[in-house]
Amino acid sequence: MPRIARVFIKTGLIYFLVSLLLGLAAEFNWLQFPGIVPLFWHLLMVGWITQIIFGVSVWMFPGRTREEGFKAQIWGWLTYIFLNLGLILRLIAEPATYLVTGLLWNVLIVISAVSQVVAAVTYIIELWPRIQSKEQRRRQRKKKRQKAKSEK
Amino acid sequence: MPTPSRWMIKASMLYMLAGFAIGALILISKVYPEYSSVWSLLSVHIEVSIFGWIIQLTMGTAYWILPRYLKTKSRGNPRLALAMVGMLNFGILINVASYLNILPPSATIVGRLLEVGAVVLFIALHWNRAVSYNT
Repeated sequence: MPRIARVFIKTGLIYFLVSLLLGLAAEFNWLQFPGIVPLFWHLLMVGWITQIIFGVSVWMFPGRTREEGFKAQIWGWLTYIFLNLGLILRLIAEPATYLVTGLLWNVLIVISAVSQVVAAVTYIIELWPRIQSKEQRRRQRKKKRQKAKSEK
Repeated sequence: MPTPSRWMIKASMLYMLAGFAIGALILISKVYPEYSSVWSLLSVHIEVSIFGWIIQLTMGTAYWILPRYLKTKSRGNPRLALAMVGMLNFGILINVASYLNILPPSATIVGRLLEVGAVVLFIALHWNRAVSYNT
């Protein structure tokens, strides 16, 4: 399993636990804090489910690069960074906005929102070209081989 | 990867982008209440994120990745698979159109029925593919 898939999956597992702990806390009046319910749902659906989908698909879908490293898998790593930046900022800033007013929290919320959309875009850039039929994959491989031959 | 899977996975990515974008607007409106009208898109956000993104991606990937029939090496009737894709997406789009008041509220009954139909086809197509090759 490539490093990026491992990182996605392990991060997803942490969100899974945190989201369920938030869900549990939401059941007790004395443990609740503002915004806990939307945080619970988003950490579960985005932090866990979406994150594990991202991790498994960058690994299992055909056409992945075998080379490890940030540069070789740039769109995958950017997806990971933007998705988790967005989630962590939301986790911090959303409850804060209920308690205090301040431009800082508003800006963090905007960064969180935009960051998650950017993650969706980078994920599509990574995965879209890899959704191919066998015939398309064969043609692509043939082209690559011919290109490599002509370069020699 | 077979055609129904490719269509479903690509469609699911577009729904994900739409779901994330609407979600981002709703999140921003929490700190800028002057844009609170975007809360009217909450049902669309949930519909495209759950049915369009997560459920569709799961169904598309399962159609591709579950074991094929041993004798014919096929994934079942391809027309039924395409009908499944069509029904699920029509269902989602009808529901979205209803939430946006393009269609009357009762249209969601049709939307949900189409989604149920897609799930019935999904089960019919995959039931006998969930097998072990060991005898």
